[in-house]
This record gives sequence, structure tokens and C-alpha cells, in this order.
Amino acid sequence: MARHVPLLLASLAAIFLVAPMAIIVPMSFSKAISFEFPPPGYWTGYYAQYFSSHSWLEATANSFIIAFGSMALTLIAALPAAFGFVRYRFYGKSVLNLVMMLPIIVPAVVSALGYYSFLSPLRLVGTHAGMIIAHSVLSIPVAFLVIAAALKGFDRNLERAAMSAGAGPLRTFLWVTLPVLRPGILVGALFAFLHSFNEAVVAIFIAGRDASTLPKKMFESIRLESDPVIAVVSTLLTGAVLLGVLISLFFRQRPAQG
Amino acid sequence: MSKAASTQAARRRGPMSRDGLTAWLLVAPAVLCIIVLFIVPIGYVLLLSVTDPTVSLDHYRRFFTVPLYANVMVNTFRTSLIVTLACLAFGYPLAYVMARRTDAVAVIFLVAVGLSFWTGFVVRTYAWLVILGNKGPVAATYALAGWGKPPQLLFTSFSSTLGMTHVLLPYMVLALHGVMRKIDPSYMRAAEGLGARSFGAFRLVFLPLSLPGVVNGCVLVFTMCLGFYITPILLGTPKDMMISQLISQQIEDLLAWGFASAIAVVLLASTLVLLGVYNRFAGLDRLWG
Repeated sequence: MARHVPLLLASLAAIFLVAPMAIIVPMSFSKAISFEFPPPGYWTGYYAQYFSSHSWLEATANSFIIAFGSMALTLIAALPAAFGFVRYRFYGKSVLNLVMMLPIIVPAVVSALGYYSFLSPLRLVGTHAGMIIAHSVLSIPVAFLVIAAALKGFDRNLERAAMSAGAGPLRTFLWVTLPVLRPGILVGALFAFLHSFNEAVVAIFIAGRDASTLPKKMFESIRLESDPVIAVVSTLLTGAVLLGVLISLFFRQRPAQG
Repeated sequence: MSKAASTQAARRRGPMSRDGLTAWLLVAPAVLCIIVLFIVPIGYVLLLSVTDPTVSLDHYRRFFTVPLYANVMVNTFRTSLIVTLACLAFGYPLAYVMARRTDAVAVIFLVAVGLSFWTGFVVRTYAWLVILGNKGPVAATYALAGWGKPPQLLFTSFSSTLGMTHVLLPYMVLALHGVMRKIDPSYMRAAEGLGARSFGAFRLVFLPLSLPGVVNGCVLVFTMCLGFYITPILLGTPKDMMISQLISQQIEDLLAWGFASAIAVVLLASTLVLLGVYNRFAGLDRLWG
């Protein structure tokens, strides 16, 4: 009996994590105008409303544009930085390493206030450019940590072998280093994308109406009007994440079996 | 940060000079981005806190002398402590089972943690609005059982604490799991082989080895909770405000940017002090596994 105590407690914790999110699914098919559970009746009307609502679709498009844009910029900065920090010893390294972590250390509301004051004189509040700048900086440490971890596990003998077989540094990098690191870089890119896609606080402060993202629009809808479409958006987002988690699990299990 | 400075720094290392320069060039884009596009904006907050509307330290004086604001600080730290302990209580058994088992159960738990980790804070907070709302399942259960009207659950410090525990739990589990999965199972078998009962083996072997994960998880959750914005604002009450609610109120209701900035600086300082202590003893790198 005592043997099962950890499993029992763990199951309770897992249910606590997942059950609230499972409730959103029937909610999205509910006919109720406000939050009501169990639902008084079922239909797909609010799905139709989401797919025909200009403001929800625009927020969705904005979320994707900003997440892709900041993912690209984040990678440009984080990839070389990971090489610099993992492979070299240099003056000021430990301080700069702390500087690299700042965007995930500083509370989001502080960064949001800072971005608002910083971007308004530049007329970048309420623009995609402003959001992409803010989100790429906030994602740098996330992508950096993932890529640096992959790089630490990289066997440099592979590069030495390529070099001794006559490949130059560039060729070695493009044909050996990069392909081996590709999974790590892809995961880093995915983390950066999701970090931006889910980010709400900075968006609430600086996205304005024109660059409003899904989290910002949801936050405001919950506060102001309790639009039932929120349940639809939540279900779609949770479903997408579940799919992503299952796919990543599938790819993770494969090499272990092979 | 000038190129001259970097060359000079590199030269000081003597034979390392070329490597030093290469390294600086590699890290420069990221470091410069963070300095210009992150540290400078944070500097604006600092500046605003002592210049808006006039140059003075009045905002700080006010924050530290008015009892209402002291209450907000106390409430923020107390709530963060409760959330951290609740996350530890839920998270430890979950991470333990995930680390010790290799079967389908471990995979299911991993999916549960991954799903909640990657779903945004707003979505997960919204779920609690439905559950605790006056037409939600809790109220429906009360009605079904004939207990009458349920107590006011939503927009209390209870709902805000519960919501934050739910939202931050995956961070705790992943921090614990990162350390626990590296504990060699043979240590536990050895302890049991030497006569320890299974709880004894856990207490004497596994628990001490997992403590770094406990510290990481608690520091991570506590500091995230201190400045947490979304959940306290959507689920909490103005009666028991946390720092983030106070900041939001000052900006939205009163347009008091200067005072809001001063509160933000206090929040930032609290977070940095905590993480500074952690960095001193453990090294900040380890916080995220």
C-alpha cells in the first residue's frame, strides 16, 4: 500500500495540471454566452464566429508574424553567442554570461514598462516592428540556453576528423558542425517561437491595437466583455500544443528504440 | 564595449589574443542587442521613477512609508511563498515518479507537464475563471449536493494563489526533474540491498541528492511569482493586491507612470537580490538546468 503513495500523489498533481485545461474543450462548444459549466447546450457557433471575426483572425496573424520575425532575429544573435560562450575563454565572460540571462530574469512587467517608455519616442508602440524587437530580445536567453546545451554535448573530434581529411574551417562548419547541431538549433528556434507566441505582458503594454496578439486580445476580452470565442481560441491553442508535444515525444522515442 | 576595448582585452591575454577577439565578435550581436534593446529600456524605468513628474525620490519615500504599500509587499512575498510551497508539494511526487519510472505512466506525466508548460498563461488562467465562476462546475456541484450557494471563490486571494500554483507548477516539476533524472537508480538499489526500507532509501539517498533541484525549483517559482502579472490581475482582488496589480492599477486607473516605475524598480531590486544570493552559492547558469 505504502508503495503506491508516490504514484497516487503524482497522479493527483497531474490531474490538477490537466483537468482545468480539459474543461475548456466542452466550453468551446457551449451555447452559453458567459462562462457556464456544465454547458446548457452544444453547438459549433463560436468556432464559426472565430473564423469569421476580423479582429480575432488579425490577432492570430499578428501572433504568427511577430513570433516568426522574432524567432529569426533571436537565432541570428543567439547562435554565434552560443559558440562564443561554449568554445572560448575570453575577458569578461562571466559578467557577459549574466547579461545574456537578464531578459528572463527581469520580471515581465518591468520589461514591459521599459519597452513602453523606450519605444514610444521612437513611434514603435503599436507596431509589428516594436513587438518583434521586444520579443526577439526577450527570447535570446531561451534560444541561447538550448543551443549552448546542444553545443556542450557536441563531439569536437568530428570537426578534427573533417579538418584532417582536408576540409577547411568553413566547409567543416557547414558540412559537419551545422548538420550535427541541427536538432538543437531547431529546438532553440521552436522555444524562441513559442516564447514570443505565448508572451502576454509586454504585448499588453506595447502591442496597441494594430499589432495586438492572441494573448493580449484574450486578456482584454476576459477583462472587458468575456467573449465566448475565448474558449474556442483556448481549445485551438491547447490542441496545437498537445499535437506538438506528442510529435516531439514521437521523435524523442525513435532513436531510443532504434 | 568598443572594438578598441575588446582588442585591448584580448591582447592582455597574450597568446589567447586572436581567440579572444573571435569570441568577442561571436557574442557581440547578442550582448549588444541586450544592452541597447533591454538594459537601456530598463534604464528608462529607473529614470522615470525619479523624474516623473518632477526630479525627486518622493515615489520611493511614499512607497516605503505608506502602510498600504508595505501591505502589498508583505502580501506579495507571502503569496509567493505559499505558491512556492504548494508547487513543491504537488511537484515533488510528480517529478519523483517521472524520474523513477520508465513505463507509460512516466510518458503520460511527461505529456501532462509538457502540455501545461507550453500552453500560455492566459489560456490556463482563463480555465480557472470558468471553474471557479458562479456558473462553474464548483457552483454546480454545490447546487447538486444541496449545499446552496458556494462561497465567493473567484476574485479572492484564494483563486489567485490557486491559479498561480497551477500556472507555475510545470516550472517546478521540470526543475526537479532535471536534477532527479541524473540520480543513478543503482544508488537506491544499493541502499535497499544494504537493508534500508524503501522509505529509508528515499530519505537517506534520493532526497539529499534531489535537494539542488528543490532549491532550483523554489528559486525559479518564487522569483517568477513575485512579479507575476496575468494571473493575479485576472483572478485576484484589489483588496489583497500583489505588486503587479498595484503597478497595473497605478497605470490604468491613475496614469501615475512615475510611481508605477518606482514600484517596478522595487520589484526588480527584490528579484535581483534573491537571484544574486542564488548566483553566489550555485551559479545562475544552473537555474534553468
